[in-house]
Amino acid sequence: MTEELGAVALRTEGLSKSFGGVHAVDNATTEFYAGRINGLIGPNGSGKTTFFNCVTGMIRPDAGHVFYRDRDITRWQPHRIARAGLGRTFQLCRVFPRLTVLDNLLVAVHPPHPLAYLGRPRVASLVERARGILARVGLDHLETAEARDVSYGQQKLLELAAALMAGPDMVMLDEPAGGVNPALIERIAVLVTELNAEGTTFLVVEHNMEFMMNLCDHVVVFDRGAPIAAGSAAEVQQNPLVLEAYLGV
Amino acid sequence: MRNASDTSTPLRRGSSAVQALRGAGSGRLGPFAAILVVVAVLATWPLLAGNPYMLSAGVIVLNFAVFATAWNLMGGLTGYVSLGHIAFFGLGSYGTGLLVIHSEINAFVAVMAAAVVVGLLSLLVGWAALRVRGASFVIVTIAIVLVMLLVFQSWRSVTGGSTGLVVPRPFPDLLRPEHHRVFFYIFLGLLLLVLVSYLVVDRSRFGQALKAIREDEDKAQSLGIPTAMLKLAAFGISCFLTAIAGGVYALWFGDLDPIFQFDVVLSAQIALMALLGGVRYLFGPLVGAIVVGSALEYFLLNFGETQFHLVATGLLLVAVVLFAPDGVLALAAQLIRRLGPSATSIREESAAEVRAQQDARALAERVEEPGADATTDREDRR
Ligand SMILES: Nc1ncnc2c1ncn2[C@@H]1O[C@H](COP(=O)(O)OP(=O)(O)O)[C@@H](O)[C@H]1O
Ligand SMILES: [Mg+2]
Repeated sequence: MTEELGAVALRTEGLSKSFGGVHAVDNATTEFYAGRINGLIGPNGSGKTTFFNCVTGMIRPDAGHVFYRDRDITRWQPHRIARAGLGRTFQLCRVFPRLTVLDNLLVAVHPPHPLAYLGRPRVASLVERARGILARVGLDHLETAEARDVSYGQQKLLELAAALMAGPDMVMLDEPAGGVNPALIERIAVLVTELNAEGTTFLVVEHNMEFMMNLCDHVVVFDRGAPIAAGSAAEVQQNPLVLEAYLGV
Repeated sequence: MRNASDTSTPLRRGSSAVQALRGAGSGRLGPFAAILVVVAVLATWPLLAGNPYMLSAGVIVLNFAVFATAWNLMGGLTGYVSLGHIAFFGLGSYGTGLLVIHSEINAFVAVMAAAVVVGLLSLLVGWAALRVRGASFVIVTIAIVLVMLLVFQSWRSVTGGSTGLVVPRPFPDLLRPEHHRVFFYIFLGLLLLVLVSYLVVDRSRFGQALKAIREDEDKAQSLGIPTAMLKLAAFGISCFLTAIAGGVYALWFGDLDPIFQFDVVLSAQIALMALLGGVRYLFGPLVGAIVVGSALEYFLLNFGETQFHLVATGLLLVAVVLFAPDGVLALAAQLIRRLGPSATSIREESAAEVRAQQDARALAERVEEPGADATTDREDRR
């Protein structure tokens, strides 16, 4: 299996996080593969978002380790993890509401050195790159709009665009299909597939099974904070443990 | 005229007057010119002020304006509301006063020296205080002032405690009205400095990142913005400028008492000025300082040293938060937009806005349809 899927991009070892008595993530050991579209599925409350937050440094895990491209990134500051090439979006779409659509992208670019912070934000080459990404997600006509003025679906695309602007090797998407219409879900799926073909690794969290089954090369199934199955979409779909977790048998 | 091209840009796009108000016009130099004009207009006050009292009131209002604009560099850009900035103002005052008393250096060199030390100190304080957000940060900043007040009141051998510290005047030969006039222009120069500092930060990548922090700090971090470092830098610059204002104040007023130099109520009033004027506007804190500063002077003049101004401050704060959360300049901008060139009457404009909103929504829906490819959108735009 591992040979087939190639190198591991992201790996966790015994990752744990509890809130009070709730073991949101419970001794989770997982592997996600470089150059692939990886999926993480599981019923609501199974700890997927908490897992994301531990991996991206937003929450400090109680125990365990996170390795990204063989570097131990546990306890790194979130911005350092982002700069190491691991980008993410949030479950409830988060953009900068009072920045323009274009500025939402420009702000995601890291200045090459601290002095560059004194320069103006609208560097021509960056603006051009941002416009390219906006055109790609279909938001180029909205670049001067404030993010709060565009629709929820457009904000989701904007969030993805901003994550891409940072130039990540791997992007983690938390429920990209949540709360948007079927047409847009399809559009996001196409985007992810295309970007992956160009070399970006993905880790997608969803509980929309159908969306995931067509999209993912490799799926990890979570239940009560830990993986209960891993494999191709077809494999995990037939796993009795997965059926039990999903159907509550 | 509104048409399809209007819907592709947002409804909130501003007229040039609004842009000028915001101090973020598309031109590179526009806002800098606006600063010069505003400073030139303020410079006429000593000619208009009929008596030394009005002149000194002008100095106080300018002092507030400098303070509030410096505050806004942190509070407005990052959204971290400090109610403790007066700690750094007071430290600037005492630092300057003690240097002038105990050394031979020029009074204004003393101001800068004190401000540099206070600025460095603020980095230490900020490093601790900026670990918490929201209400916790506000409380920490208040605590800083209270600690300073206690220290400066009890450390009598150095600070003179509540007996006060008399700071020798830098221009001992000047008569009182002349003294006020000179300091009016010094504070005006300081206002120029803080306005330009704010503008430079506001228009830089640094400022853009600070605004991202204000909007959503976690999100900013997740995009790779080193939020802790940038917040600290903004805090340090803000406190440094505040300390300069404090130092010049010490030279002007000439008598320091901890109860005034570390007055938490005044500290809150400074934040109120910025909020009232509009923290998103270059000139917001200045406008707020003129309104609140004049009101405070008025209360003092008509009702004497009562607690009435405290009640008024509280009520004003509530009113601002409820009715003008973006400040009076935002209200003014709205008004200008309404009466702007594209509309002949308010009612017509609002009807046009409804239509534009519908268009925008229709456009948005079309964008979300997979069938609507980019070319149709682009045709709309042209
Ligand atoms: N900040 C928090 N404080 C307390 N409990 C939390 C917090 N975040 C998540 N939880 C709990 O942890 C569990 C896992 O939640 P979450 O990671 O959001 O799951 P998922 O994303 O799979 O729906 C849930 O029981 C949830 O109530
Ligand atoms: Mg979740």
